[in-house]
Amino acid sequence: MKNPYYPIDTVVEDIITETPTIKTFVLKPVRPVKFRAGQFMQLTVPGLGEAPFTPSSDPNITERMEISILKTGKVTNALHELGPGAKVGLRGPFGKGYPLEKLVGKDVLVVGGGVGLAPMRALLYALFDDPSKYRKIVIRFGAREPAELSFRRQYDEWRALAGNISLKTTIDVPHPDWSGHVGLVTTLLEPDKLEGIDIVDSYALSCGPEIMLKFVTLKLLEIGYKPPQIYLSMNRKMSCGMGKCGRCNVGHYYLCVDGPDMCYDKIKHVPNVFG
Amino acid sequence: MQFIDSTNFERLLKKLSGEGELFVPVTEKDTGKLHIERVEAFPLPEGMSVEGYRTVETLKGFAQLLRSTVAEYPSEELDEFEADENTLSYIVVGARACDVAAMELVDRVQIEGEFEDPFYRIRREKMFTIAADCTDCGESCFCTLLGRKPWPEKGFDLAISKVDAGYLIEAGSERGEKVISENGDLFIAPRDGQEKSRDEARAKVVAKLEKNNRDFPDATKMTEPLRKALADGLWDKESAKCVECGACTNICPTCYCFLLFDTVEGEKYRRVMSWDSCQVTGYARMAGMGNPRPRLSDRVKHRFYHKYDYLPLSHGEIFCTGCGRCIDACSAGIDMRAVFRNVMSKVAK
Ligand SMILES: Cc1cc2nc3c(=O)[nH]c(=O)nc-3n(C[C@H](O)[C@H](O)[C@H](O)COP(=O)(O)OP(=O)(O)OC[C@H]3O[C@@H](n4cnc5c(N)ncnc54)[C@H](O)[C@@H]3O)c2cc1C
Ligand code: SF4
Ligand code: SF4
Ligand code: FES
Repeated sequence: MKNPYYPIDTVVEDIITETPTIKTFVLKPVRPVKFRAGQFMQLTVPGLGEAPFTPSSDPNITERMEISILKTGKVTNALHELGPGAKVGLRGPFGKGYPLEKLVGKDVLVVGGGVGLAPMRALLYALFDDPSKYRKIVIRFGAREPAELSFRRQYDEWRALAGNISLKTTIDVPHPDWSGHVGLVTTLLEPDKLEGIDIVDSYALSCGPEIMLKFVTLKLLEIGYKPPQIYLSMNRKMSCGMGKCGRCNVGHYYLCVDGPDMCYDKIKHVPNVFG
Repeated sequence: MQFIDSTNFERLLKKLSGEGELFVPVTEKDTGKLHIERVEAFPLPEGMSVEGYRTVETLKGFAQLLRSTVAEYPSEELDEFEADENTLSYIVVGARACDVAAMELVDRVQIEGEFEDPFYRIRREKMFTIAADCTDCGESCFCTLLGRKPWPEKGFDLAISKVDAGYLIEAGSERGEKVISENGDLFIAPRDGQEKSRDEARAKVVAKLEKNNRDFPDATKMTEPLRKALADGLWDKESAKCVECGACTNICPTCYCFLLFDTVEGEKYRRVMSWDSCQVTGYARMAGMGNPRPRLSDRVKHRFYHKYDYLPLSHGEIFCTGCGRCIDACSAGIDMRAVFRNVMSKVAK
């Protein structure tokens, strides 16, 4: 019989420092794990417990998985203390993942902030599999300061992949090392900064801190997106990952089963939807 | 349908007890309330009774233990394991309609869907349920407000109804039918009039339930009024006296929430599943990112909305069978029926 609570034995092969508070862990589970972009895993620190994370790596690669983790509490602090060779555990994948089928033939707007860039990278890898399937891929990333923009080393490579890809970044407040755009990520969502996206025939997907999700949503609505065109990576405390422990509800949805990426149209009526 | 007299019923239980652990309702002397007790030896304990109404304890603890180990890691078998075929079953006598129905609801969460909890399923399959009619009801019972009956109609292996000096007995599963056919000498055909006297007894209990609950609204029609009252100030008032003890959720036969935590056991690690309650602050709190239900009234309210609005949408039915245990257990005196009445008077305005 299958035990869905057992964390599959996994070795930390490598650790990449992304920002002062985010590290990417390259994990090798004893058997390959197949996941769709946006699905999440429960990562175990043996004896201490688990926390949910969405892989940031290419969903086509199943032998290894990368997870980019912000240091913020009990489990994540312990993860940041680990070195290569450490043993951890994985359960999953859980959740639905991004609605990739819906994006085919559309203009796709990807908006990420802070550690929210991690799940977005898996989405980008999935889109970059064949960029020609989408009309435009417009990416807008924000962070508080330059050092907090994860995956910067890859941005130019991504921009060069295809003619229909645009990636712009911003930081919240001016910084000596930064000559680019300054302002919240919403300031990159003005209609004249979106490469002529056809909003009516577009989907917007966003992941980041709840406060950012809230303002991104308001901005998207302001520039003409309708709630069914907006997908948000929602965040709730989780334990089982399987719709059984009752914890992660947003209205009548369990994020671990119906999300974590939720169509805004489905959850807009929920009080405190952005926490 | 068959009839079994009390002596033969005890013989039947004795026989069944050879196949598993036997649990029966026993009356507590001081309070007159029924508690589930394990039968260690025969004769059956003095005070055992399948009359009256539900026990204080629910059945959920048989399938979802208060605390249980769900994984020991690392392990060579990884996430595969062999179910132990030899574990004994539980024979649970005297389960009421509201409780067998509640188990079927929890099954939808723990067994159905993409993932199943194998431990829950195994324990559930090992449960042999002998359900019983209520011959009375408690002050807090309100199954009829949920359109339910105080006698079980499905979800049991055998069901008994007290008549004369014994019980009318019916099978509700293949296992139940087998028990009846293998023990044919213990049963006789019902006598004329026994079925009628069962129906009369049932009607009496229904009449009492209806009388007790006549001042409260139809609970099956609460979903819409609750939606309208979502942002109403009444929840602050209703929750003012709640002390966040979680008694209402622990005692509820349909509350299934749990938490996983890990411990160190020498060279190995253990993952433990434990009941949890949405009524306590830490339940949904996140690191630095706040809590979707920070206020006490948000949490008190959540119990009502989860059972009467969210679960009907996600799992097809109201997750409350009207057993009334949460009313008995609440030290703040929160009575679900009265809350519904207040909701109705608010939204009617
Ligand atoms: C679907 C999903 C995907 C996520 N993906 C990522 C990711 O790719 N990278 C990343 O850095 N973070 C991600 N997070 C957030 C991450 O799970 C939390 O930061 C982490 O659980 C914090 O655990 P902790 O023990 O370090 O914190 P503590 O505060 O010590 O944890 C206390 C408890 O709260 C829970 N908890 C705390 N914060 C959160 C939170 N934000 N979300 C859910 N549970 C929380 C923990 O599970 C723990 O049980 C994701 C969260 C969810 C729900
Ligand atoms: S709620 Fe109904 S079925 Fe349950 S114990 Fe009371 S009378 Fe019996
Ligand atoms: S909510 Fe109360 S009345 Fe309803 S099933 Fe649970 S304990 Fe019984
Ligand atoms: S994490 Fe348990 S129900 Fe979603």
